[in-house]
Amino acid sequence: MSTIERPVLPLAHEPTPSGEIYPDAIDLERVRAAHVDQFTQREQVTVDGNTAAALAVLQMWRCLIYPGFPITPSTKWIETIASKIADEPRTKKKVKLLEAEHAVADYLVGAAAACRDLIFSTATSSVGLDHMTETTRSLGASGLGNVMLIDVYRATANFPLCIEGDPSDTLAHRDDGFIQICTRGKQQIYDTILQAPCLGMHPEVLTPTMPGYYGIKDSHRSARLTVEADKAIHAFQDGWIQPCPLPGLINGDTAFGNCVTSKHFQGFKLSQRRRMENVLRVLPAVGADFEKHFGRPGLAFFDEVGWPEHGSVDIAVVGMGPDFGTFEALRESFEQYAGLQVAGLAMRLLTPFPSEAVRRRLEKAQVVLVVNQAHHYGRGHLTLDVVDALSTLPHPPRVVSAFAGLGGADVSEATWERMLEQARAGEDGRHVEPAAFFHEGRPL
Amino acid sequence: MTSYKENATLESCFRPGSTLCAGCMEAIAFQNVGRVTDNGVKTVFTIGTSCAEVSSLAFPNVVAWGRGDAPPDDFARSFSILHNVFESAPTLAEAVRDVADSLRDHGALSAPVQVVATSGDGGALAIGLRALLHTIHRRTRVTIMVLVNEIFANTGFQYSPATTPFASTSTTPAGAASPGNMMPPLDYVHLAIAAGAGLVAQLSPAHGKLFQKTMERSLVCEGTAVVFVPAPCITGWKFDDGQTVEIATLGARCGVFPAFVWERGKGGAVKDCPLDAADRPALEEFLGTQRRFNHLVRRDPVTGGFAVREGSEEVVARFRDWTQANVERMYRLAELK
Repeated sequence: MSTIERPVLPLAHEPTPSGEIYPDAIDLERVRAAHVDQFTQREQVTVDGNTAAALAVLQMWRCLIYPGFPITPSTKWIETIASKIADEPRTKKKVKLLEAEHAVADYLVGAAAACRDLIFSTATSSVGLDHMTETTRSLGASGLGNVMLIDVYRATANFPLCIEGDPSDTLAHRDDGFIQICTRGKQQIYDTILQAPCLGMHPEVLTPTMPGYYGIKDSHRSARLTVEADKAIHAFQDGWIQPCPLPGLINGDTAFGNCVTSKHFQGFKLSQRRRMENVLRVLPAVGADFEKHFGRPGLAFFDEVGWPEHGSVDIAVVGMGPDFGTFEALRESFEQYAGLQVAGLAMRLLTPFPSEAVRRRLEKAQVVLVVNQAHHYGRGHLTLDVVDALSTLPHPPRVVSAFAGLGGADVSEATWERMLEQARAGEDGRHVEPAAFFHEGRPL
Repeated sequence: MTSYKENATLESCFRPGSTLCAGCMEAIAFQNVGRVTDNGVKTVFTIGTSCAEVSSLAFPNVVAWGRGDAPPDDFARSFSILHNVFESAPTLAEAVRDVADSLRDHGALSAPVQVVATSGDGGALAIGLRALLHTIHRRTRVTIMVLVNEIFANTGFQYSPATTPFASTSTTPAGAASPGNMMPPLDYVHLAIAAGAGLVAQLSPAHGKLFQKTMERSLVCEGTAVVFVPAPCITGWKFDDGQTVEIATLGARCGVFPAFVWERGKGGAVKDCPLDAADRPALEEFLGTQRRFNHLVRRDPVTGGFAVREGSEEVVARFRDWTQANVERMYRLAELK
């Protein structure tokens, strides 16, 4: 033992499965008290999607440091945060500019592990997300549900480079271990980001989140947004986010990121999978509570349009993102023209894929048209998930797969109509290609 | 500052149970740094993937980290460690530093926190040079310890950008057509200074007192402190256990990795390595201790010392020239303020 007299700092401590925790080491009330409100009451603003996402994280008292690195089309997220912080001398929040996306992801690991009761968020896109990959997979398995990686969708390949909104980046990261939620429209972007930490930090989930929205189409185009008062947001989030039951680096005597033998690796992966499966139970509860607080729809597995109570339709459309709005706009006129009942699902929860809910919704459809917007060598990412969801039905509906809007191209009314005709052919029992490409009203 | 004798009574955060090779310099360095950090300040280590990580942080085997046999009642003696990918240790450390500073800025954390990042030279100087230089560039108040065993030991002793010239590694093997590694090592000491470090050292626990004092200074450095620890690797450099400290001392004295300590604003000094080659141990004495240089020197059956192999005279002469240039370079770096 040491012969040197040292100052002693006795603190109560408790054992946990991840080491010892010193619950009184950090006084989070001081952090909450230091928060400077962005909005003191509900207001209407006109903003683009990146700004909506930036406002949401600025309003959270648990967000103190914003690590970032610019990449089109997510850049304005960090610019907006930097600008707001630069304009507010009372705030102690800080922007942290790093040298690359990989560094941002590493920083998220260190920061989120340092204090598991704070929220650490960044935004990226495309190859930026790819550059993070080595560490996003660590994060996905880490149990650090206090990490929120906002992905502004953009095609990933640089041969050729395309900066518009194509979800191939997020869909290439389906197995990174993040809860992936697709949003469309400024309000859904803002609302989803407010709810995501409640889901990720839930003690039965403890899994990082990756809310996302389409680049350019949603990141850069402006629309009206209802923002809530910071205090109302805090009241909602504090109802869900309790002190993390596991220690962080600062308030713990603990180790993160151990090396394990293959025997124990199985256990870690099973635990990771079970936490992810718990999302299917917790997400609807968070969404319902959000609606109770704010009067707008909260998190859901998917948005529904046109479904009759009995659930039987001729054509069911499954898609995602803002182009689904074009289908919503022409759905009724197509029904009248074709004499068919047509309904749709815009997927929101991508990972874990809500297979059971999708199956229940689609089981009485005659044909399911799945619209994929990302490059895939098979029938499409979404198609595979939908087919898998339907696979346990004794007589599953026929699935017609389409690709449209690759590289962020608009999916026009004419394209939607042509895809619906393809589904109609499937509904009639005619031959259709396993997967067909459509653009500007024509098959490619 | 703690006396050398007092320091020996402190409790290291590196504990028995690692599966590092017996006598590994990394273990010796961890033991020493572990004691220096028993200073009344909460300690967090970050570690990039390396021999040190896979050998000391394995589950469910013993995790060789932590202070005391039970979680300490004294929060200042609690200890946490975080591992992530090879290049990540400096950035992880920077994040922990920032969060601790932010919490203290808010009055939410009363206890101070000290942060030490540890990487191998593969993690810090090859795949992670970007991370190392940018954390330094941002003047992050952390200590970064780079364990330089001059190879990718964890993956089987391949060439790294810190490999000494003419060393035989598993990807620069010496053979009839090759004298081993032909690349001079990266000038990482100079890079760290140029990037803005507050303290830069090249030093191993073979220089025990100086190592302790330097690590103590690193923990109170206002900017980033970077300590490159020459780390003779028993398996990679191919020598017998029990020789680690002797080889580390010899390598420093003969000029292959001179002991060096530098602080911004004060300048630095080369220690225990005279500028004049005649005043240093013969290079052959260092080369002869390791079979990675077996193609260059052999033991003389008459004198018992080491002599240059026939046919390797020119390569050893070039090696000697590089060593002299290396020592002169370090003396010039010491003059920087």
